[in-house]
Amino acid sequence: MKLQNSLFNFFAPSTSLCYFTGMQNRENEVSKVVQGVSDGVNPERWVDDHGDCLFRYALLRVRHPEVAEDLVQETLCAAVRVYRDFQGRSSERSWLCGILKNKICDHFRKLGRETNFSDLEFLNDELSHKFIDQGWNHDLGPSEWKAEAEFIDRAEFWEIFRGCLSKLPARVGDVFMLREMEEMTTAQICQALKISQTNLWVMLHRARMALRECLESNWFENKPRLQTNG
Amino acid sequence: MGNAEKSSSSSAENPSVLAGRNWFERLLVSFIAARTPTCREVVRLLSQSMEVKLPVATRIKIRFHYLICIWCYRYGKQLQALRRIASSLPDHMDDCAQETLPDSTKERMKQILRETRDE
Repeated sequence: MKLQNSLFNFFAPSTSLCYFTGMQNRENEVSKVVQGVSDGVNPERWVDDHGDCLFRYALLRVRHPEVAEDLVQETLCAAVRVYRDFQGRSSERSWLCGILKNKICDHFRKLGRETNFSDLEFLNDELSHKFIDQGWNHDLGPSEWKAEAEFIDRAEFWEIFRGCLSKLPARVGDVFMLREMEEMTTAQICQALKISQTNLWVMLHRARMALRECLESNWFENKPRLQTNG
Repeated sequence: MGNAEKSSSSSAENPSVLAGRNWFERLLVSFIAARTPTCREVVRLLSQSMEVKLPVATRIKIRFHYLICIWCYRYGKQLQALRRIASSLPDHMDDCAQETLPDSTKERMKQILRETRDE
């Protein structure tokens, strides 16, 4: 890390070098803010602007407020250290969110405990009515999802989606979110959680099936009714 | 036998490309059905295809299966939609959650950040 910093200082434009060395001696709060704004960094502002959002995400993922707080803390500290690598290619929030995602992956790696395989039993019977023999029951098969561009901006949709996620058994939800939100590869997840690839695929399959079902019945099939009522 | 009757009775509302509307379609449907995986299997394979690239032969079979089964086709599309939805959830946390960090925690964090920055 130190080597990285010194290398970076070597190549960094002199202005940012001045800023960071100058920063170290300043105690005056106001000048810090001014300096921060002019150079785009003010970690204390991150807490006010993005703290709650990061906390909400972390809480969704780890379920315990204390752990979530620690993750946010770690994220922001790491962000301060690597700020100079942030080129403004993405928004500040998605950059911080990216760091948090890495912290979440690390968190699950550290946990690395055995999977509770009883989770795998879920849904086995629940969805069997969807099929007649091996084919879809035509009346209960997937319906058409319309207007995706619309719902993506609706707060109600995200509430429903979050609700659906929280209905998954804990481990199945963890696996699904590590895969689709933290975007870990299948191999990384298997290694982190010490599960076999086959088990992972089964869990992902069940999670997708359940989520699809939940979204369809709570959003896509409800929505037209809501619209006609409203 | 009971199942065959059921599927033919609902073929009027079956929106699949090939739904057995006449003798020729019925022939094609049974031909394809005999040579492609069952819906249960297709659904499992579709989830797997989100993780690894399936063999060409399997992918072709699934394509043919889509001709006789619009539900599997929709299922495949919806798995992709689900991926897009899940990956953009972090950007919509403010829409679906109201939890906030306690002020005392925020102050503590700011303090630690000041120390980290000044290190």
